[in-house]
Amino acid sequence: MDPSATPPRSESRRPAAITALAIRKQYGHVEALRGVSLSVGLGEIVALVGDNGAGKSTLMKIMCGAISPDAGEVVLGNDVPVVAGRFNAAEQGVGVVYQDLALAPHLTVLENVYLGHEVLRTDRPRWLGLLDRRAMALEAQAALQRLAIRLPTVRVPVSLLSGGQRQAVAIARAVKWARRVVLLDEPTASLGTRQADIVMNLIRNVAQQGFGVLLISHDMERLARVADRIVVMRRGTIVAEFPGASATLAQIVEAMLGGAPRLADPRAGAPAA
Amino acid sequence: MTVDATADLTDQEQDDALALPANWQPRTAGAALSIFGVDVVAVLIFSALSHFVFLTRQSLSNIALDGSESVLLCIGSAFLLGAGELDISIGANVILSSVVGGKTMAAFGSPLAASLIGACACVFCGVAVGAFNAAVVTRLRVTSFITTLASLGIVTGIAYVLTNGYNISDVPLGLQSYFGVAKLGGLLPYPALLAFAFAVAAWFVVYRTRFGLHTLALGSSREAAVRAGINVRGRLMALFMLAGGSAGVCGFIDLSRYASTNLSGHQTDALAAIAGAVIGGTNLFGGRISIGGAVFGALLAVILQDGLVVVGLAAFYQLIAVGIVLITAVSLREFTQSGDSSTPLSSRLMGLLLGHA
Ligand SMILES: Nc1ncnc2c1ncn2[C@@H]1O[C@H](COP(=O)(O)OP(=O)(O)OP(=O)(O)O)[C@@H](O)[C@H]1O
Ligand SMILES: [Mg+2]
Repeated sequence: MDPSATPPRSESRRPAAITALAIRKQYGHVEALRGVSLSVGLGEIVALVGDNGAGKSTLMKIMCGAISPDAGEVVLGNDVPVVAGRFNAAEQGVGVVYQDLALAPHLTVLENVYLGHEVLRTDRPRWLGLLDRRAMALEAQAALQRLAIRLPTVRVPVSLLSGGQRQAVAIARAVKWARRVVLLDEPTASLGTRQADIVMNLIRNVAQQGFGVLLISHDMERLARVADRIVVMRRGTIVAEFPGASATLAQIVEAMLGGAPRLADPRAGAPAA
Repeated sequence: MTVDATADLTDQEQDDALALPANWQPRTAGAALSIFGVDVVAVLIFSALSHFVFLTRQSLSNIALDGSESVLLCIGSAFLLGAGELDISIGANVILSSVVGGKTMAAFGSPLAASLIGACACVFCGVAVGAFNAAVVTRLRVTSFITTLASLGIVTGIAYVLTNGYNISDVPLGLQSYFGVAKLGGLLPYPALLAFAFAVAAWFVVYRTRFGLHTLALGSSREAAVRAGINVRGRLMALFMLAGGSAGVCGFIDLSRYASTNLSGHQTDALAAIAGAVIGGTNLFGGRISIGGAVFGALLAVILQDGLVVVGLAAFYQLIAVGIVLITAVSLREFTQSGDSSTPLSSRLMGLLLGHA
């Protein structure tokens, strides 16, 4: 791959896990996305970086079917079209961590992890819909333990958790239900150093199991360590792409800011956000 | 609950932490208990003021009978509130259901057939009104407040059109003597038993089933529920139909208690039901339902009403008293929940006033 290229579309060389083609999205007068094409390969970690408002979250929400694009299409694997309203991300094995987390604050950790995937008691008629909370509690606890998250009990309402704990719950949920793709929108934004490293390790594990991972983050240092490709967005388009290992921070920041005269030292703009 | 002491858990302790009761709902259980405490205190006060006339079997079984309809409506409202919706048409729905049921009964000769089919007609009508509300809310995307404000008018209007404004009293008399005012063992009114069975079923649904969980999720964060793949339209349809159905059952109880419809009544039912549910700990903005609280909240209004009559005050004071209780309960809950340990005074007040430390 040519590190300095500015590709009109960003494609993976591996079999595609998820592909977005020529996506456009407009909010009133704001053109959030102006024809973005991006594919994530199986077993690949693609990092999506860009300044605030570049359109990263919008792209991710379109890729998981949470909102619909004005033009363009998203395909899961090679066949399943992602259409907002008809596409159930969780059912299709797409795990998502939204920037706003999308947790139900009154529900407990275990209820949030299992919402939409409830385990029902098998010793009672299924039509009753009786929850097997014990089975769910143990499984949810295990899912959290893999992220090294310690909670006294998974039966505490999410509203009582700290911001970082909430984020961890959202990540645990996304990873738990993902079967082929994981999309994470700033998953480490409110995590401590240790927790952020654990999450990055987990992301690497997930990719090694053959999942496609799309990771949005402002944490350039950690990104550079895990990403196979770093895709840079600016004002609704993809402006550059770098192989993870070889990109320098200065190069990435320059692409993010569009080579415009920079006011501050490049290092200042990056991980601080 | 030891939140701090569990920072370093062995496996065994982890299991213990998980082994909390399956329905662990500290806040709603607390609210239900508090209101139960208030109920007991109110009964005792009225008893003391009435030379213990209020504490007789007769009087208590009257409370149960008078409370049966409000318990049903409070529970129906609690479900909707928990899902972040509300229905202010349920009072009108009670009237229309009793009208439809009464008309149906009048069409049958045999009292038994008339009663049974009439009961089905009441419930069917209530559910149908609920389905209409749900359809408007989910398809036309009108908020439930506006939708049910509109259907409050529509449903009342239909009831008047169907009856020309005259109450229907072609109700089989047996319905009244065998059900409406009959008491099991001379103590437990059948309508109250019906309401109690409904409450037990509702408790089960809320705390033990997927439907209950989805209901709370809808009210806690609609966005989270949608993204978790919950069928929002289907769930809302079921919830409005449930609330409508509870109104339909009330219509039937009305017919069987009074052997007549009550066109001019039920005007404060919907708001009383919401008040009762909220007093009992159900969150007005969704995410939390207390079935026990709804039952005791509904009973509190009835206790106040009957009690004021027993001590010789006009029953009108009940409306004022319920309003004050509503403000007190909600503000105390705000205090105790927002401050926790930093507001010991309000906690103690809560303990003092609501009989729950
Ligand atoms: N629901 C919305 N309504 C109107 N405008 C929106 C909406 N969502 C996003 N936008 C606009 O679209 C543009 C892209 O937003 P987006 O959230 O995708 O940015 P982002 O790259 O994720 O930024 P950040 O790093 O701050 O999260 C912004 O200008 C934003 O104001
Ligand atoms: Mg964003």
